[in-house]
Amino acid sequence: MTDANQLAVDASEREGPSPPGHWLASAWAVAAFQLDRLMTRPRLAMALVGALFPPAVMFAAIRTAPLDRNMAVVMIYALIPEALCVLGLLVTMCPVVADELERGTWIHVAIRPGGRRSLLLGTFAAAVLWTSSVAVTGLLLTLFIAQLTQPIGLAAMFIALIVLSCIGRAALFALPAVILPKRALIASVGVAFLVEYMAGFLPAVVNQVTVSLRLRSLLVEWMGWRQQLPVEMMLFVDMYPASIQIIAVVILVMVLLTVACFILNRRQFPPSAEN
Amino acid sequence: MSSPPATPPAIEVTDLVKEYRGSDGSLVRAVDHLSLTVAAGEIVGLLGANGAGKTTTLRIIATLLRPTAGHARVCGFDSQADPVGVRRSLGYVSATTGVPDRLTARELLTSFGRLNGLTDAEVSSRVAWLIDTLALTSYADRPAGRLSSGQRQRISLARALVHDPPALVLDEPTNALDVVGSRSLLDTLEHLRENGHALLLSTHRLHEIEHRCNRFVIIDAGRVVAAGTRSELVGPTGDLESAFFRAVAGGISA
Repeated sequence: MTDANQLAVDASEREGPSPPGHWLASAWAVAAFQLDRLMTRPRLAMALVGALFPPAVMFAAIRTAPLDRNMAVVMIYALIPEALCVLGLLVTMCPVVADELERGTWIHVAIRPGGRRSLLLGTFAAAVLWTSSVAVTGLLLTLFIAQLTQPIGLAAMFIALIVLSCIGRAALFALPAVILPKRALIASVGVAFLVEYMAGFLPAVVNQVTVSLRLRSLLVEWMGWRQQLPVEMMLFVDMYPASIQIIAVVILVMVLLTVACFILNRRQFPPSAEN
Repeated sequence: MSSPPATPPAIEVTDLVKEYRGSDGSLVRAVDHLSLTVAAGEIVGLLGANGAGKTTTLRIIATLLRPTAGHARVCGFDSQADPVGVRRSLGYVSATTGVPDRLTARELLTSFGRLNGLTDAEVSSRVAWLIDTLALTSYADRPAGRLSSGQRQRISLARALVHDPPALVLDEPTNALDVVGSRSLLDTLEHLRENGHALLLSTHRLHEIEHRCNRFVIIDAGRVVAAGTRSELVGPTGDLESAFFRAVAGGISA
């Protein structure tokens, strides 16, 4: 057998089925790498500011006027699963491809078998972990400041909302990040505004594919507000039970990530796209 | 330098064409019916001016770009039909090392070993072997931000070899290196050739590789304008640089 034939055979042998969990290990390798990248002083300072923002607003609010429990819960919802999570994910998820192109690492990742998928999923995992950690820290501080009754139940509910918000929005921002890597931040802000905060509030079929509808519906369900909800507000929440809302978010995440992976696998970046 | 024994090529590019849509909407042909081969145990120098199509060709071979027409194969795997097969068989080294400042060589190689699907045991032994073989030991545990360009490029080479690919493409790997770093890297490439690797090396620094490559392929405007061994291109007197200029000016036919 010639050398080159032997090389081809060797390569075929290596080509065999991936061991179970191989792609998870690859994605985790990327996630660890991305988390390490986030451990810089400027990023940590940004995370600290993010975590302190909701308790600071809550502190200012309760100093200004008395706040009842329900109003405080709505405020925490607006500040953390909505605002803070979206801002955190804009910073961590949007640059998934642009950062690699700018740093010259894209080609080294893209040439690995499954490298593009691992890059996307690993960055997704890192973005969700990082943003969730910041948001949960902010939540605990805010609950401490607000001194609400049944804080453990509220903490559990908000942690669930934070996790769902993070996985849903990270998957949503993955699309502009792979379609328009160089303008991912602007595109993601546009997507957040148009999809989550405009379409999400339209009483039409289109709001069924938004994360914001699912989160609002879960909040209403878990807080037991459904019976007291004014008729006009019923248009802005979904009446299905919590399990359906969670399944809907998970399906949405899977669809968005699958589409983003497909697009990223097809993307070509000419040498001029780097730097 | 004599040619290696005739064997089927580890890297084979056939009639490759790549067209881009320019910013003004016009069609730009970066690679124009280019063909070349690299056998196992051979270093082939891909020479050309800036914009000649070297990087585009290498990136098509590496599955980073899709050709408009033609084929690129690595170890028998077609870059379009079986990109995963190509990726498992190929290492890629570029001028920009893309080695993150915060990571050490050991951490980077471990990450990329995992990214390549190696088990923890395989990663450990492979990383240890690479650190030893490529003489990275003295700085393997230092953050890459504190290393010289030459040291970072050696780490980049180690990263390209982490999955033990039989073929390597190198896009101007010595660009940012001084003469010492450059010689050291090229010595390592010769060592890889002796071990049976197929190497396709693009560079502008002709004097560095003149006596190190088995063959040369000179391209201009995406086309092969000359190809052969040094003696075929240069003749008994003269040097590669003169041959390059003659070829680009149309004095030598492929």
